[in-house]
Amino acid sequence: MRRPVAGMRQEKLIDLVRRSPQRLVFPLMGYPGARLTGSTLRQNGFNAELHFMSICKLVERFSPDAAFFMMDLSLEAGALGLPVRYPINESPTVEEHPVKSLADLDQFKVLDPLNDARIRSFIRVMELMSKNLDIPRGGYVTGPFTLAGLMMGASELAMATIIDSGLVHGVLEFSLGVCKRYARALAEAGADIVAILEPTAAFLSDGAFRTFCGPYIRHLIEDMDPMMVLHICGNTSHLVKEMCKTGAQGLSLDAPVDFPSIAGDVDPDVVLIGNIDPVGIMVQGTPHDVRRAVKDLIDGMASHQNFILSTGCDLPLETPFENIEAFMEEGRRCVRVCDGHATLDPAMMA
Amino acid sequence: MPSEEFKEMQDALEAGNATVVRTLTEKALERGVDPQVILNEGLIPAMGRVGEKFKRNEVYVPEVLVAARAMYAGLDVLRPLLAKSGAKRAGKMVIGTVKGDLHDIGKNLVRMMFEGAGFEVVDLGTDVSEKRFVEAVRSENPDFLGMSALLTTTMPAMKTTIDALKEAGLRESVKVLVGGAPITHRYARDIGADGYAPDASSAVDLAKELLGQASSSAAS
Ligand code: B1M
Repeated sequence: MRRPVAGMRQEKLIDLVRRSPQRLVFPLMGYPGARLTGSTLRQNGFNAELHFMSICKLVERFSPDAAFFMMDLSLEAGALGLPVRYPINESPTVEEHPVKSLADLDQFKVLDPLNDARIRSFIRVMELMSKNLDIPRGGYVTGPFTLAGLMMGASELAMATIIDSGLVHGVLEFSLGVCKRYARALAEAGADIVAILEPTAAFLSDGAFRTFCGPYIRHLIEDMDPMMVLHICGNTSHLVKEMCKTGAQGLSLDAPVDFPSIAGDVDPDVVLIGNIDPVGIMVQGTPHDVRRAVKDLIDGMASHQNFILSTGCDLPLETPFENIEAFMEEGRRCVRVCDGHATLDPAMMA
Repeated sequence: MPSEEFKEMQDALEAGNATVVRTLTEKALERGVDPQVILNEGLIPAMGRVGEKFKRNEVYVPEVLVAARAMYAGLDVLRPLLAKSGAKRAGKMVIGTVKGDLHDIGKNLVRMMFEGAGFEVVDLGTDVSEKRFVEAVRSENPDFLGMSALLTTTMPAMKTTIDALKEAGLRESVKVLVGGAPITHRYARDIGADGYAPDASSAVDLAKELLGQASSSAAS
């Protein structure tokens, strides 16, 4: 029987990590669950009960230390009415980015994103997870900068950070409001963890991050009840120090970041989450490759308590189940070493 | 032509100041400087330097995009004159992100570096089907077809496009360059591409090298 999570909201992510006798292990996984319910990603994206069942099956099969619903970067943009394409078995994507001026935002300001059917469906998934799962339950919200990129076009947004910062801040103010509203709804639905997905910020310099991303993330995080995590894909080594200033309780970083070498830059109260390569290792590798990568990472992080073993990004639909098994097993097998003391896994001592 | 003026133009380009680049280009033309010289000694080396800095992580994507925009401001002034004088372009390229893939930042940088290096580029955008690539190769008759893919799931579209080129009898008429974060040398070789480059400025170097080979083998 797992420990109940009631009252966990007052707790911080680092407390959860410290309280656990062994390393916490959870891959970012949602999509592979569709294979366990014999459904398509598109079906899961529109059907809360099915989506929840897919997550349940993953939890039953792999017993991760936390469960997240499926990643979907098009959700908020779609709720604003931007055209979205829903492939049968790939993630949905936003097809047009119509915002060119502040005036273009007016058409969106009258909308309440929470009226959108798909947003409602994801909130419902969160409720179902919260009622029925006894491990920490997590959801995702698209970050303000990434949502701004979907509204304006990523290249246009990138250029505007230099030539039209007024426009960028205007769009960010608006997108922050949307993100906040949805994140609050997830919190009310019972989310213990909310991870902010901010992939488009990966191409910013640290200075530009400080101006256009960090402050908005900080606003999004403050007054939020759940444990707030910041996830950015790609190589973000140059941004780690800035990411630490956002108030995020955890940083979920992608495979190109060398955890052992950046761990020293991270406040010991902020948890590093990652970062086995979701494609190169988890999809294309063998279980043996997975075990070796997990072991190397855990060894490299041995002297850092503020670490959760996870994947660098969301696991693709086709990730072999035996690789997820290998990931969980190897993660669980490893002892936690901190402050020079080894804490043995009770299962191994028995 | 005093190199000082090009230096000013180049500094403005590197700083992304489009207005200054346009004005200095116009001034140079007024003084009778050959448009080809302005392009080759003014704009191209500056854009090349920006690409190099990007490769070394000294500047980031926004800086490169804004520098490229400044380059276009100069190029727009020169273009009609270059066309009229029948000046020779470095080469021609058709480029796009493959089917199912909407990532376009890398592809845009590659396009800009090629334009900055004096190539004529036809950009088909993102989510480009095999059919559209083949049609563009047929109608544009480029030296290069460039494909970009950022997703593991969309990489195979590079191979199916190469196959479609073969089927259309066009494979020999064009050199295929591929790139994007998940692409490797090995993958490029396996699918029968002519070249792979890890970043935008290396892609330009590679294209020039391939053109050089083509012309020397044609001469021999
Ligand atoms: C012709 O010859 C050549 C030669 C060289 C060439 C070339 C062609 N093309 C590129 N190059 C080379 O030169 C360029 C400059 O030097 C370089 O180009 P790059 O494009 O590599 O680099 C750019 C300059 C900067 N880099 C980027 O622009 C990509 C950055 C990351 C963070 C990224 C971003 C920003 C985005 N994303 Co996406 N995204 C990621 C990226 C992480 C990463 N590690 O790359 C990646 C690529 N994304 C991923 C995913 C999964 C997705 N993304 C998606 C969406 C998005 C955003 C819209 C949010 C945004 C795109 C904005 C845009 N308009 O492009 C979704 C798919 C959308 C679709 N159908 O295309 C979605 C499926 C996410 C989802 N669950 O919804 C991952 C792919 C995993 C995989 N291997 O398959 C990913 C690696 C992140 C991760 N770790 O999971 C070189 O590769």
